[in-house]
Amino acid sequence: MNEPKLTPPQTGIWKKYLNDARPFLALALLLAVCMLSNESFRSVQNLLNITRQVACTGIAALGMTLVIIAGGIDLSVGSLLALSGVSALMVMGRIADPRLAVAAAMLVSLGAGIAGGVLNGLLVTAGKVPPFIATLGTLSIFRSLALYLANAGTLSSSNEFFRETGSCTPLGIPLATICFLVLAAGFAVLLNRTAFGRHVCAVGANPRAARYAAIGVGKVQFMTYVLAGLSAGIAAFLFSSRLNAISSTDAGLSYELDAIAGAVIGGTAMNGGRGSIAGTVAGVFILGIISNALDMWGTSANLQGLVKGLIIIVAVLIQRQNND
Amino acid sequence: MNADSSPLLEISGLTKSYSGVTVLDGVSFEVGRGEILGLIGENGAGKSTLIKCINGVTAPDRGTLRFDGRPYAPSIRNALKKGLVTIPQEFNLADTLTVRENIFLGRELKRHGFLDSAAMREETRRLLEELRCDLTPDQKVSELSIARKQLVEIARALSRDCRLLIMDEPTTVLNPPEVRNLFRIMRAMRDRGISLIYVSHKLEEVREICDAVVILRDGKFIERTPASEISVREMAERMVGRELKGIFPPKNPLGPNAPEVLKVEGLSQAQTLHDISFTLRRGEILGLAGLGGSGRTELAETLYGIRRKTAGSIRIAGEEVNPDSPGKAVRAGIAYLSEDRQKAGTIQSFGLAENISLISLRKYCSRGFIRTAAETEAAERYRERFRIKANSLRAPVRELSGGNQQKGALAKSLDGAPRIFIFDEPTRGIDINSRGEIYHFIHQLAADGMACLVISSDLEEILGLCSRTAVMREGTIAGFLEGDRLTEKEIMYLATGVKGAEK
Amino acid sequence: MMKLNLKSAAAVCCAAAMVFFGGCKQDDGKIRIGVSIPSADHGWTGGVVWWAEQTKKDLERKDPKLEIIISTAKDSAEQVSRIENLLVQGVKALVVLPHEPAPLTGICEQVKQRGLYLVVVDRGLQKDVQDLTVAGDNAEFGRRCAEEMAKRLQGKGDILIMEGVPCEVNTLRVTAFRQVMKKHPSIRILESQTSGWSQEKGLKLMENFLQKYPKIDAVWAGDDDVLTGALKAYAESKRHDIQFFIGGGGSKAIVKRVLDRDPLVPVNVTYPPRMIAFGIEYAAAAVKGKPMVKSKRAIIPAEVITPANAKYYYQPSSPY
Repeated sequence: MNEPKLTPPQTGIWKKYLNDARPFLALALLLAVCMLSNESFRSVQNLLNITRQVACTGIAALGMTLVIIAGGIDLSVGSLLALSGVSALMVMGRIADPRLAVAAAMLVSLGAGIAGGVLNGLLVTAGKVPPFIATLGTLSIFRSLALYLANAGTLSSSNEFFRETGSCTPLGIPLATICFLVLAAGFAVLLNRTAFGRHVCAVGANPRAARYAAIGVGKVQFMTYVLAGLSAGIAAFLFSSRLNAISSTDAGLSYELDAIAGAVIGGTAMNGGRGSIAGTVAGVFILGIISNALDMWGTSANLQGLVKGLIIIVAVLIQRQNND
Repeated sequence: MNADSSPLLEISGLTKSYSGVTVLDGVSFEVGRGEILGLIGENGAGKSTLIKCINGVTAPDRGTLRFDGRPYAPSIRNALKKGLVTIPQEFNLADTLTVRENIFLGRELKRHGFLDSAAMREETRRLLEELRCDLTPDQKVSELSIARKQLVEIARALSRDCRLLIMDEPTTVLNPPEVRNLFRIMRAMRDRGISLIYVSHKLEEVREICDAVVILRDGKFIERTPASEISVREMAERMVGRELKGIFPPKNPLGPNAPEVLKVEGLSQAQTLHDISFTLRRGEILGLAGLGGSGRTELAETLYGIRRKTAGSIRIAGEEVNPDSPGKAVRAGIAYLSEDRQKAGTIQSFGLAENISLISLRKYCSRGFIRTAAETEAAERYRERFRIKANSLRAPVRELSGGNQQKGALAKSLDGAPRIFIFDEPTRGIDINSRGEIYHFIHQLAADGMACLVISSDLEEILGLCSRTAVMREGTIAGFLEGDRLTEKEIMYLATGVKGAEK
Repeated sequence: MMKLNLKSAAAVCCAAAMVFFGGCKQDDGKIRIGVSIPSADHGWTGGVVWWAEQTKKDLERKDPKLEIIISTAKDSAEQVSRIENLLVQGVKALVVLPHEPAPLTGICEQVKQRGLYLVVVDRGLQKDVQDLTVAGDNAEFGRRCAEEMAKRLQGKGDILIMEGVPCEVNTLRVTAFRQVMKKHPSIRILESQTSGWSQEKGLKLMENFLQKYPKIDAVWAGDDDVLTGALKAYAESKRHDIQFFIGGGGSKAIVKRVLDRDPLVPVNVTYPPRMIAFGIEYAAAAVKGKPMVKSKRAIIPAEVITPANAKYYYQPSSPY
């Protein structure tokens, strides 16, 4: 029998690892450059600040990554964050006992997030509405509900315990950062090491083949939206506890775009089927570091959008170069 | 035959490598004017890469081409300019547009800046008449059968003043009468001075229609010979470089006591199937023949839960089941190897191991986490058992040849430990070597007790593999054939309802 | 090979750009003051940003040891992050114009805990933790507008109120306005709606008002951006029943119209974005140990601009 030509083993694998490592190499390079060139940037406090500043968008980006890998998209993340936060603060305002109030706020925030995710999931799977359209609709619906409940204003709380929770720093690290990293680890394990994660990739890569492989395509997609909603709920709680208030008009505004940007820079393909949670974390940090560094260098805040847009485009170009 | 005897296309020293693997190695040959040239070789021999280098989709690493005596730098635009048209296996038609719109796609006729529909319609009508097919210019392509879609592709090629037409596996989706028609058209084109390159695995057809044959093996040019001077057997042998034995294993007769595994009665499915009844016994290989569109794949999809049945019953080992999702079908013990390998059979970006474990993933999980070691071990076992040629278990399967991908899909369906296995066109587009191996596996599975249903348009395959065949026509079973009555003639009679329709 | 080149080139360019634009901030004996203000999303805040930058140039020129860092933010959450960044950069004082009181209170408390000098401009916090408040007199503002309107209407007429974003500043103004109007029972307030202090919303709101009310005597737009939008809507409607409008804020476009004796804009009341300049000056003085102001509140009075004195209030170089 004709022996097959022996090729260098694992060339395919090395290329894949190099691809996956790209966002981290960029992150490392960026960190090095920023730290060398700016003293204020270097301080530990600043680095911790950055981690806290990216935590909320980061958490939203985690859920978004799963949705995108499964072949969908969720434009309503930011508005859902606002609605969850507003609901939580409203409930908190009615409970006297501070600790009980905070616990209730947490439950309501998560619950509202999950409910929003369920709605998105049902629209996309049972309603067969294309995800872009469905979440464009819920984006408006959630924001409108938030504005209505808060009368287009800012809800604030006088609950000291709430603010302490928001600004506490166990082991010197902000609570929001810890939540972000723990959640990221959880999602990474879910995506890479469980059957569900494998199904998510399959559904995004080739929904037809996934169906023929006896995977419940609708169920998998539905769960990703629920998880995205849950992420929004968690982010809402952390967001409002940090400020001890939530603005129904401004909270979460354009978070979905930042979440998508973080996922894309981290290597998640918009078509689905491919992506990594770690990459998203790197992507979110890259955006956060740039924003912080530009601020330290005194660049006009108005130009930050320009830099962010350029990074996104360059990131996608570099990735496409390597997928031929 | 032709006034000008200089070659139309000269290929010299064409070399191409992908990621360190040499796919084409100094291939050189000529295509004459007004000639039908067959291009044969195993999967992985380099045929598709060669075609891609000729029509400009890929750039070769080394080598030159000359077209019509002048140097030719292959690019998609150049190819079209020179009249070099390719009809790929999966057609390039826009389903939502009409025949006329597809033919003129990108080269619409205009009058005063507006689309000149009348002129395009007239031109289309003329082309269609030439091809002697009963299509009208304003028919929607999505409503056409595959054979008709192919005719639209050919019409489009003709309208482009094509001088060299490359056809990739054109007859895998055609039934015998449609193949006849295609050959007639090809001969007419040749007689007009157009050259054709005919890529196919069907060696008898190659011998019948081609003037000469080029054989590739392992990326190298082996031989170019007139079709009349080489037999089918010799072609197959040159392709693999060794002597061939018969590729069909001897059929095992079914024991009289083999229990009934699958019993279908009165099965109907909305618009596609009505009143289907048959039984399948343990260890049996039942063929399912019929023309394209007769409902064979639809039957398989109904059994597998992709389509929902609207009447009738399905019994597995005596128990009634109602598979309304693939999950349920798998749990009931049904496996389905789809005919659409790339789109439904494998996930191209997943590795071999991930593809194999996809259906039965729960098996490899403990406490919710996938145990990669167990998964790798299982994949390794299948690789050995099915002799899958893959360098890595985790590199994307799109890097494997069609035959090896099919073996991977087979392993995947098998991993769920089914009792009934439905094969839908299991060797379509696969080289002869892998084909023999797959027949051997199916035979082995049956010998071990699997009840197999083999859907195929390749009559030779049906006759070689199955001891009993059902023939479908227009959504129902026209009849069963076995023993002496299982011949090509009888199958075609039942499939078409017309006596003497086979050749 | 190609891919490697593109990636390396991109990386090298980015690195070079950053090092070029970066600068080492050494501990060089400079006194840093941080200024955190909203980004210029409408005319008034645009004026604030402009005045802040003018003051920065001015003060840094007079005293080279001073470094003023101006940081803008588009919403409260971003503003909190910006203030955190300012703290990291080692500022000795912070001048803040909060987007909203509640979300900024926490970070401002932290600022005080570190012993920095804190000046709050215009909008207050939930808790009064600052060393100095610099604000316009919102109640006076509302009062003056009402008085000027009542005077010109001679105590009777149908009027409309266009409010701002629901917040303390707005409440103070509107309450004062209404209290004055209570003294003139023949002046009827037909309706009061929010215009969000935006020119576009002002235009839309005015269009709706014109539809609803066939006869209007005067309109209090409350803010010069809103006034611009309302005037446009009125011009397009081709109605003639409105006698005049009153805006507020002292923007140069409106002041010019007062100067030119535009019959529709007879008068304006100031609410100067320049208050940020005062805030920064006071902060700079305090940090050097020579506070300019003894009390904790510096209130800038609301002044009435008429054709007679308009030329003193007209500043063509400012964006507002």
